[in-house]
Amino acid sequence: MLPESNMRDAFSSYHPLVNFSYFTFVFAFSMVFMHPVCLGISLMCAFIYSIYLKGSRAVKFNFKFLLPTMLITAVMNPAFNHEGATILTYLHSGNPLTLESIVYGIAASAMLSAMVCWFSCYNEIMTSDKFVYLFGRIIPSLSLILSMSLRFVPKFKAHIKEVSQAQRCIGRDVSNGGIMERARHGVTILSIMITWALENAIETADSMKSRGYGLAGRTAFSLYRLDNRDKKALGVIFVLGFFVLTGGILGGLKWRYFPTMKGKASGIFSVSLWLAYLGLCLVPVIVDRVEEHQWKATQSKI
Amino acid sequence: MKFKFTKNKVIAAVLIVIVLAAAFWYGGGAPGLQGWRVSSSSPGDTQEFNTDEKLNSNEQAKNQDGTGIFGNNSDNSGNLNDDDKQDDACIPEDVADETEKSTGSEKNDTSPTEGVESRPGGLEGDLSAAEKTELAREMAGGSSPGVEKGSKSYSESQGMVIDTTTGKDKYLTDPVPEGKPVPVEPENVEISDIEHTCTLSVRCDTIIDNIDWLDREKVELVPEDGVIFATAEVTFYEGESVFNVLQREMKKAKIHMEFVNTPVFNSAYIEGINNLYEFDCGELSGWMYKVNGWFPNYGCSRYQLREGDTVEWVYTCSLGIDVGGYYATGE
Repeated sequence: MLPESNMRDAFSSYHPLVNFSYFTFVFAFSMVFMHPVCLGISLMCAFIYSIYLKGSRAVKFNFKFLLPTMLITAVMNPAFNHEGATILTYLHSGNPLTLESIVYGIAASAMLSAMVCWFSCYNEIMTSDKFVYLFGRIIPSLSLILSMSLRFVPKFKAHIKEVSQAQRCIGRDVSNGGIMERARHGVTILSIMITWALENAIETADSMKSRGYGLAGRTAFSLYRLDNRDKKALGVIFVLGFFVLTGGILGGLKWRYFPTMKGKASGIFSVSLWLAYLGLCLVPVIVDRVEEHQWKATQSKI
Repeated sequence: MKFKFTKNKVIAAVLIVIVLAAAFWYGGGAPGLQGWRVSSSSPGDTQEFNTDEKLNSNEQAKNQDGTGIFGNNSDNSGNLNDDDKQDDACIPEDVADETEKSTGSEKNDTSPTEGVESRPGGLEGDLSAAEKTELAREMAGGSSPGVEKGSKSYSESQGMVIDTTTGKDKYLTDPVPEGKPVPVEPENVEISDIEHTCTLSVRCDTIIDNIDWLDREKVELVPEDGVIFATAEVTFYEGESVFNVLQREMKKAKIHMEFVNTPVFNSAYIEGINNLYEFDCGELSGWMYKVNGWFPNYGCSRYQLREGDTVEWVYTCSLGIDVGGYYATGE
């Protein structure tokens, strides 16, 4: 289960349980911890991992889409939020511009883009067969619906291309004719797509049912075995995850933005939590590096 | 079909009762609304005791008001509520008054037992069921004692244009009471450079009484005496509104203040002063203003100041009940 073409990405060859628990921890922590250091760690690791997974595609997306989104969100906050004790100046409207609202805007935008980035990584790693493998037995219908809806947009995009190409052959694409005609063609294509989507959903469900999906004794499309390598990785993820979690509950990652910025910014406990969080976020990158190193080492021996 | 008690039905019924009881206990996220026991500081108090004592306390109240010389029952209903809330309503009210007395949290002003004035601010949680229903009724019915009903003829003679179908002006303001200034739209005002003075103060005493309810991160912002901006003579220019003066003085004193313009009411709404925001001290809290002791029933951008006015900004934790500026709606 280690495709040679995709040597870089060893983490996705791990058991789905390892992948899923990793992403669960990372998502939860990225959304919950507003501590600036945690946000920085999360954003940095998400950037690194997305670039690691997708290469130049990710670089393009991150800089073309995420960076502007970040800037806009960061600027939007102080325009509407005037809370905070440090008044820098007064806005045109008469409300104060405060340092805290600016910093909070940056923090919120960092969280937003980190989450978008993490989800793009999640989609690379947790394919729908893995998801169904994990949850097909426990919650069959829900996991089918989830995997179908997660697949919907990419599938729709691919199919609309197909349909529009077929329509172009007979001169009825959105690129043919005058404005009115184009609009009419567009509506036709849309109606074709919607009909297809509805029918396709029913067909998928029927075909799953006819193959006995959700019944006892059925196996999944991909088979995985929880071997020692997976157990070790799972152990590391859970130890780090629970350490950060308990630390967070005990208040080691506390930070408040309003009315003045204050929080735990030093001390062995906090620093160890940051390191654990950094380690957790970097697990897949480390795993990939180690596997690559091992692969090269075995190659040179031959 | 015969009704059968099944296990599930019983569980469902019990669940519904539990949810309703919990909801009643919760009551709302504001000081004094939660719980149903008589205040914990007086564990010996029972409901019976309270009702026994009620006449007594009533008389006391009358005496404090200076109206007790004339018999009790006749002016009982008239005194407690200006509008016609009947005698039967007096019983829970008295119970409430009495409990407050026994907790010793009553204030020393002249009308501690007068209706709404004594309501939730002083009590720390723990209302009896009777008190709670009473409180709900107060919120639906009676305004604070200082709040008078508006006079339509007076307001119209002062130039307020009142819509006959709604009984309000075009910014949803009810008529003002006799003798009070009517709202002035800020866009129609020419501000001249003639200087006048008025008195301004900003206080948040009510938070100190309900400090447990305050957002924990904001406790440090509350001054010990509750004074954010001590009473001071400030200058304003003819035509300016209460809002203009507040904004300028807060800026001058380097005190944080945030407002938002609400076009529906054609006025600014003060969201927070000194980083103490609305809803920071329970869900019924926020900033209110009074001028010469009266809480205007319109926004601060529409109150045009006059020479010598006394403007007070106060923080309320209970929709104005604790500062005496509660306006009843839906009468």
